[in-house]
Amino acid sequence: MNPARTTLQKHAFFNNPHYRAIIYQLLLLLGLGVFFYNIITNTLANMEARGIKSGFDFLFSTAGFDILMSLIPYDATHTYGKTFFVGLLNTILVGVIGIALSTLVGFLMGVAHFSQNWLVRKLAVVYVETFRNIPLLLQIFFWYFAVLSALPSARQSLSLGESIFLNVRGLYLPKLINEPGSLWVYAALGLAIIAIFILRRWATSRQQKTGEQWPVFRISLFILFGLPLLASLLAGIPFSWESPVLKGFNFRGGITVIPELIALALALTVYTGAFIAEAVRAGIQSVSHGQTEAARSLGMPENRIMSLIVVPQAMRVIVPLLNSEYQSLVKNSTLATAIGYPDLFTVFVGTSLNQTGQAIEIIFMTMAVYFTFNMFISFCMNLLNRKVAIVTR
Amino acid sequence: MIIYVLANILPGLIDWLFISANWIGETQDDCTKEGACWVFVNAWSQQSIYGSYPTDELWRVNLCLALLTAIIVSSYLLDKSLRAKISVPLFLLFPFICILLLDGSYIGLEKISTDFWGGFSLNVLLAAASIIIAFPLGFIWALGRQSHMPFARSVSIVLIEFFRGVPVLALFFMGSVMLPLFFPEGTNVDKLLRVWIVLILFMSGYMAEVYRGGLQAIPHGQYEAADSLGLGYWQKTLLIIFPQVVKISMPNILATFVMLFKNTTFLLIIGIFEMLSTTQTALSNSYWLGGYAAEGYIFVAIVFWTCCFGMSMLAASIERQLDTVKR
Repeated sequence: MNPARTTLQKHAFFNNPHYRAIIYQLLLLLGLGVFFYNIITNTLANMEARGIKSGFDFLFSTAGFDILMSLIPYDATHTYGKTFFVGLLNTILVGVIGIALSTLVGFLMGVAHFSQNWLVRKLAVVYVETFRNIPLLLQIFFWYFAVLSALPSARQSLSLGESIFLNVRGLYLPKLINEPGSLWVYAALGLAIIAIFILRRWATSRQQKTGEQWPVFRISLFILFGLPLLASLLAGIPFSWESPVLKGFNFRGGITVIPELIALALALTVYTGAFIAEAVRAGIQSVSHGQTEAARSLGMPENRIMSLIVVPQAMRVIVPLLNSEYQSLVKNSTLATAIGYPDLFTVFVGTSLNQTGQAIEIIFMTMAVYFTFNMFISFCMNLLNRKVAIVTR
Repeated sequence: MIIYVLANILPGLIDWLFISANWIGETQDDCTKEGACWVFVNAWSQQSIYGSYPTDELWRVNLCLALLTAIIVSSYLLDKSLRAKISVPLFLLFPFICILLLDGSYIGLEKISTDFWGGFSLNVLLAAASIIIAFPLGFIWALGRQSHMPFARSVSIVLIEFFRGVPVLALFFMGSVMLPLFFPEGTNVDKLLRVWIVLILFMSGYMAEVYRGGLQAIPHGQYEAADSLGLGYWQKTLLIIFPQVVKISMPNILATFVMLFKNTTFLLIIGIFEMLSTTQTALSNSYWLGGYAAEGYIFVAIVFWTCCFGMSMLAASIERQLDTVKR
């Protein structure tokens, strides 16, 4: 017999790591079981005592409250289920705006950190260090209560041209109205995008074969704007603008951006932008300096070194960091509830929960939604990450 | 162009902030000059630091803050061998000492209900008390995630991902709306205590991920060396692995703490009087209806900025120290 096995058998069975692991896990399972059993029995007893009926039936009953802003038709006679979607869309709206703008600001400021200009460099540092270290909620309040509520009233609005107005009630933009024939313009836009894709493929393969560069970017831009423009001229400009007009005490017509959305999007952009700038800086710093020197000795101009040599390599470090910044942006957008922007949290966890008392269902639904958002962001960023990762052959 | 913009904005800003600002006085009427009204901040300073804690009992809050400073400073000064024996138990006892002292009813002082606790001291103490408990708890979760026991591992993963993936505001709502349903009927758990529990769990999730980074950075030789010395699992983990993990994760731990500290302002939404909500209350006070929002927010911003910037500087300096050790 194997001598090692005999020594093993001499030990008591609870000293065997294998059995021990099983015992630990059984204890954990037992603990969790007791914990959940207690919670569930308590919850059921409490709900019975308070007269709360569990289940998702409330989603089909009339909500009876108005929502400040909705992307889909909604009024107080609609159901709680509909309020969920109104909130969901508003959350997606602020999330998309926040992610787009904060990426722009973050990349600008991150690259500015390496600028040749002393003032630009210092400005980037001051921006990052200031806004990263101030609580986000405070920044939201600052924009909402200190800046936006100090704007003039509707009659003395700040205006840009005759169609864009900014006042204490929000931002008023002209609205694009489609008239018959506008379909052709959209078709031209789609065609332009497809043409650009094909053109880029062709240009890349040509460059790889012959080494000659082709001004892809300028020509793409030309196609992107030229083709729809041509189509709209041919169709006799099938668009018109509906400008906001001052009637009585407020503006009518056009698109209204409520101040809550402006404050929230602004604060999220500035706050997350500072973090993204940090991520971009870290990414650029991780690219070996030899790369820049090599590019310089090849005679590349500075801005092309940044965009063609440094940033693509920096992306390997930046993308995973961006992933967590985007996730926290979406999670932080729940702070909308502090200023009353009607996102999912305000509408559903705030008002609907108060009215129905269905705490468990509503909170779990909301948590599930934010969980899904985060998984979706993770998924997209992982795809992007695979694209920027070092190709090992 | 930037110079032009700065030259246009800065003089006006400096003028508003300092030169034509009102510094002296007690009421709104003293704010006669054009600039900022710092009288407002001055008049509400006690509120914004201590909340509505009774003025005669403020020494208790101060004692707690002093104790926290003393523990942190002493852990720097003490010899390494004493640190584990003295500083660690002191840290772990600190939240409970604070509760005894601030509440008072258990140690023969006048009872002060948690409704009166508030202000910046609450932000600091709550953040400190949460991370102190999350420090070991997060490590246990991180160990669980690395464990070979499949059930323990999945439980840890679910816990960590849940508390990281959900907005902290949803967790606070869960703490204030759902937790009361979980307790047996008739038990009334204090709101602040529920918040504390939520903060601990939330923080543990983040700490566990920080520790995971640290655990992955420990060379495998360390485990093997500990094994060959005949150390058991807990000896190996606590004496060999944990100290090294804490050391290399220190910058990230500080960054996580800064996040937690900033997030304590979110408590405003569920009606806890931390610094930002005392400021909001002050702004809506009927004796101060003059739109002092900018002054109030700038004061809060300066306080938070100083703390957070200080901690991130500390983190950066630790990072630099670690860097030199490596080379």
